[in-house]
Amino acid sequence: MDKNKPSVKIRKKPLGQRIKNNFGFYLMFLPVLLFVVVIYYWPMLGIRYSFFSSKMVRGGGLEWTFVGLKHFETMFKAPEFWTAFKNTLIISIVKLLLNTFAAVVISIFLNEMTSLFCKKAVQTIIYLPHFMSYAVVAAIFTLFLSTSSSGMINETLKSWGWIKESIDFMHTSKLWRPVFYIVNLWKETGWGTVIFFATLSGISPELYEAAEIDGATRLQKMRYVTLPALANTIIIVLILNVAKVLNIFEPVFVMYNNRVFDVSDVISTYIYRKTFMTAVPDYGFSTAVGLFKSLVGCALMLGSNFASKKIRGRGII
Amino acid sequence: MAENETKKVQASEAEEKRSTPKINMVGEKKPTKIKLFDVVNYLVFAILTLIILIPIWKVLVDSFSAVGVYQFKLWPTEPTIGGYATILKTQKLFRPLLNSFITTIVGTLLGLLLCTLGGYVLNQYDMPGRNAMSYFLMVTMIFSGGMIPEYLVMRQLGLVNNMWILVVKHGMNVYNLVLMKNFFEGIPASLYEAARLDGCSPMQIFYKIVLPLSKAALASIGLMFAVTVWNDFSTVQIYITNRDQVNFQYMLRVMVMDGDTPTTAYKVSQSTLYYSGIVCAILPFMVAYPFLQKYFVTGVNVGAVKE
Repeated sequence: MDKNKPSVKIRKKPLGQRIKNNFGFYLMFLPVLLFVVVIYYWPMLGIRYSFFSSKMVRGGGLEWTFVGLKHFETMFKAPEFWTAFKNTLIISIVKLLLNTFAAVVISIFLNEMTSLFCKKAVQTIIYLPHFMSYAVVAAIFTLFLSTSSSGMINETLKSWGWIKESIDFMHTSKLWRPVFYIVNLWKETGWGTVIFFATLSGISPELYEAAEIDGATRLQKMRYVTLPALANTIIIVLILNVAKVLNIFEPVFVMYNNRVFDVSDVISTYIYRKTFMTAVPDYGFSTAVGLFKSLVGCALMLGSNFASKKIRGRGII
Repeated sequence: MAENETKKVQASEAEEKRSTPKINMVGEKKPTKIKLFDVVNYLVFAILTLIILIPIWKVLVDSFSAVGVYQFKLWPTEPTIGGYATILKTQKLFRPLLNSFITTIVGTLLGLLLCTLGGYVLNQYDMPGRNAMSYFLMVTMIFSGGMIPEYLVMRQLGLVNNMWILVVKHGMNVYNLVLMKNFFEGIPASLYEAARLDGCSPMQIFYKIVLPLSKAALASIGLMFAVTVWNDFSTVQIYITNRDQVNFQYMLRVMVMDGDTPTTAYKVSQSTLYYSGIVCAILPFMVAYPFLQKYFVTGVNVGAVKE
């Protein structure tokens, strides 16, 4: 019947034909599909455990009993959880702002460097710490800040007569966060400049020439030409990272310890401790905390995506 | 009188302005200002690079010193390579180092395979279901099951206490896949057409045309995978307790932070061993980085700035 129909001119071949033509591509996508399902989608089914309680049974298995919203009630009543939530926001956001600010300042001033060789050399050096793991960086700074006789910072300060007794930087609540921020600045500021440099290299030299003819000084050029050119990139960097503020785990985990939990415990480390450092863990409870984190993270991600689309006409996902 | 004088001065100033061409004036004014600014700028950056380099240099020097001193020394005191020898000879330290190398190499290869395949397929714009596929991948960037459901799944798969968890977990990276897709978009479509007319299958086009043309992309994304897997500590912390299966980052952390040093390793001083461990943990990329800096940096730029 169809054959008898007057053929309408269509641009696309029939669906069946197109699927057949692309069969090879589907086959190639199969491994990707498999990994995505196993690594990302299968665990998503696991969020149902938020409404169950787990109990260890003999042989290492788990037995689940339905408890409804009990875990969420416990969670929202636990002061520990709220401390972790507050810490996550503070630590992530301050770290993000400090790192971005430092990266912007460094990019702007490095951009003023006239010798190309020096510029390249500085760039190469400040990118270095990014390639060290958080575990390594934490190890280095723990050794430097230690109170033993080989701790560089304490002993140096003592020999200069600045302090009389060693300061236990890593185990003092008041000092932990500043130390954390400084260590993170050391590690990530340099790498943060990469993206700003890409933008700076795109600024037309004519802008600087025009500013010069108008009598702008060096600092004025930096303030009125370079900085505005970076504004968009700064906003993008902030948006991209705001979406991920709740994910912070490794940077904190490698540096914190039980004496500074009050200022350093973040949601992910809270989940970790509740599961792997408890004698009788309730996987249901930690799943519930994880679900809360995922939902807030999801909202942040969508918000950032929306903001990004508004600002630069392109989403981040 | 006074009025006259000021007028005179003004007139002479105006004359000066007129007589000296504008460019010269700028040129005259500049040197003093530039000098001060530049001196300060260079000085600040010199200090900045020292702040980055001093800790690294101290680690390196102390790894070669037989005795640990708190001061910053330019060269090792009582030079020794005992720390490195101990790491290579002690099974409990060498095994994690080996694990790190194995997982990094396999993880990078798997990661590249998956993201090139995915990136290539997602560029087939006339393939039915392409949009569904990309949405399928995108969802994973927005929502995740969380640490514990992931752990339970991996346990079912027998990947707990197993170093291959590092490969499985990092092998699939949607972000890198999208980067790869963006790279592939730069390859002219006419090349695909020509190859197709010559009778190439999709797979043949993939490894005869797409891959050879994307060496730079493969290098930079491959490096991103390698850095991630080599530097991963938290996955090991969560999934692995068996000391035969941990990677070197984990072993280093346990050694330095928890003081859990293998007993056979006490032939050298503690600090020599610690610092040698740190050097081993950062060495591969510190050595490769100056030569491959270009590739390290491209990945970031394509991902973030490409409009």
